[in-house]
Amino acid sequence: MEKNKYLNINRLYLLTRRHILSNTKGWLIAFGAVSGALLVISLLTAYFNPENLSNLAPTYITIMFIGGYIFTSNIFSELHDTRKATHYLTVPVSTTERLFSAWLLTAIVFPALSMLLITLIILIANLLMNLTLNFEPFQQVFFNGGFSVFRSYLITQSIFLLGAVYFRKNNFLKTVLAIFVFSMVVMALISTFGYLFLSSLSEGGGVTIEGDSMTVQLESLFLERIPNVARVLYYYLSVPFFLVVSWFTLKERQV
Amino acid sequence: MVKIENLSFGYTKKQTLFDQLRLQLQPGNIYGLLGRNGAGKTTLLKVMTGLVFPGEGSCRVAGYDASERMPACLEDICFIPEEYHLPSVKIESYVSINAPFYKRFDYEKLGWLLREFQLNPQNRLHQLSYGQKKKFLLAFGLSTSARLLLMDEPTNGLDIPSKSQFRKVIAASVNEEQCVVISTHQVRDLENLIDPIIIIDEGRIIFQQSLEDISSALFFETLPEIKENQQPLYYEEGLAGYAAITPNVQSKDSRIDIELLFNGVIANNKGINNEFK
Repeated sequence: MEKNKYLNINRLYLLTRRHILSNTKGWLIAFGAVSGALLVISLLTAYFNPENLSNLAPTYITIMFIGGYIFTSNIFSELHDTRKATHYLTVPVSTTERLFSAWLLTAIVFPALSMLLITLIILIANLLMNLTLNFEPFQQVFFNGGFSVFRSYLITQSIFLLGAVYFRKNNFLKTVLAIFVFSMVVMALISTFGYLFLSSLSEGGGVTIEGDSMTVQLESLFLERIPNVARVLYYYLSVPFFLVVSWFTLKERQV
Repeated sequence: MVKIENLSFGYTKKQTLFDQLRLQLQPGNIYGLLGRNGAGKTTLLKVMTGLVFPGEGSCRVAGYDASERMPACLEDICFIPEEYHLPSVKIESYVSINAPFYKRFDYEKLGWLLREFQLNPQNRLHQLSYGQKKKFLLAFGLSTSARLLLMDEPTNGLDIPSKSQFRKVIAASVNEEQCVVISTHQVRDLENLIDPIIIIDEGRIIFQQSLEDISSALFFETLPEIKENQQPLYYEEGLAGYAAITPNVQSKDSRIDIELLFNGVIANNKGINNEFK
């Protein structure tokens, strides 16, 4: 029997290399265009509105997030074209390797390169502004919350990875729509449940969170336990969950 | 090499394409898979490749369940579809990207085949003609040393010299360990190459015989007329008379007309198959 039939480092490397080499041109163009635009925005802001330079950090983060989601949504584009999928699905690698390779590129390589790119843009802007305007160094606010930004990206990105495998066209927009619909449904359920449950406890039939009718246990449930569970679900279980669902969706994909 | 048992499959729940289909393919053969349009030839190749999964039953390739798409199994399968996409890279780049996936990839053979097909490794794939692309895919596929080669309408888009070149290359490249399945409706392009013949119709394999057995059991002849006492298994009128298939009662040799055989099997499946019992 074959060793490492599910995850082989050499095959993973070859698949990732194949992915990169087959898409280098398109990715470089997209990366170059975004980098250029960010650099121009930075320089213009530094020149005309230097006091607002620190406000650019959220813009960079937003661009990185949206760019990452779009990139993730298109990572399985080969899978959704019958002619390309025939070749892609017959490349001798396992489902785990297909998914892991895509995840590495979109969840690790992309944010790493994006952060590097943003650092470079900041450095270039700094250098130019210092030379020409004797401007204060660009504040690297982006990196103050670097880890939490990366963690948030990693979590939300996994939803778009599932969308990339699951949907066959317009993956990015369909995933956004699915998130919106799902959020609405969850909110509606929580509201309905909250109204029905709490109104029965309330003396006047209305909803009160911190009123006399709420017991200590309920307070603990709603203000501590549920948020704690939600936090664990969000930070630790959502990524594995979406990766596992993506794996099964990829494994079951037919042409 | 390939063992399909009780395969049932349909693209929709109402329309069943295969119903309890059974098929076994052995190495050392170049099978010709024939069938009418929509009979399921391409789908059967996709089942063997693991691109579509059986609704019921199983398909095992080299001992592996094809639908599992295990790397070791995929390494032993080369599928050349009728419609394909090649990236806009040079031939040599494509090879350097994709060949390392195949442990037994034969670079010398690829060089020979590229020369044979007059393809330059510096050529960009998207700039090649349809026929040239097909030749490249064939060259790459044969070089993977996969033990199961599946080709869907391989001679479509090839010019006349290329068709004979195709036959020559296949005959020279395939060894006793390999099993080739060629799905086609252009049987004349592949005469003298395919053996045995498999005919698929209405979701089942209705005929599977080697050329030797066909030659022993059936006699192909052209008759000026069909007399009342003559009972050919199948005949069709042509310019030179009636092309007919009759039982080979006198054990005489005749040139097998695969097209006539195909039409005969479709029209008189029971009658022709009875001659092999």
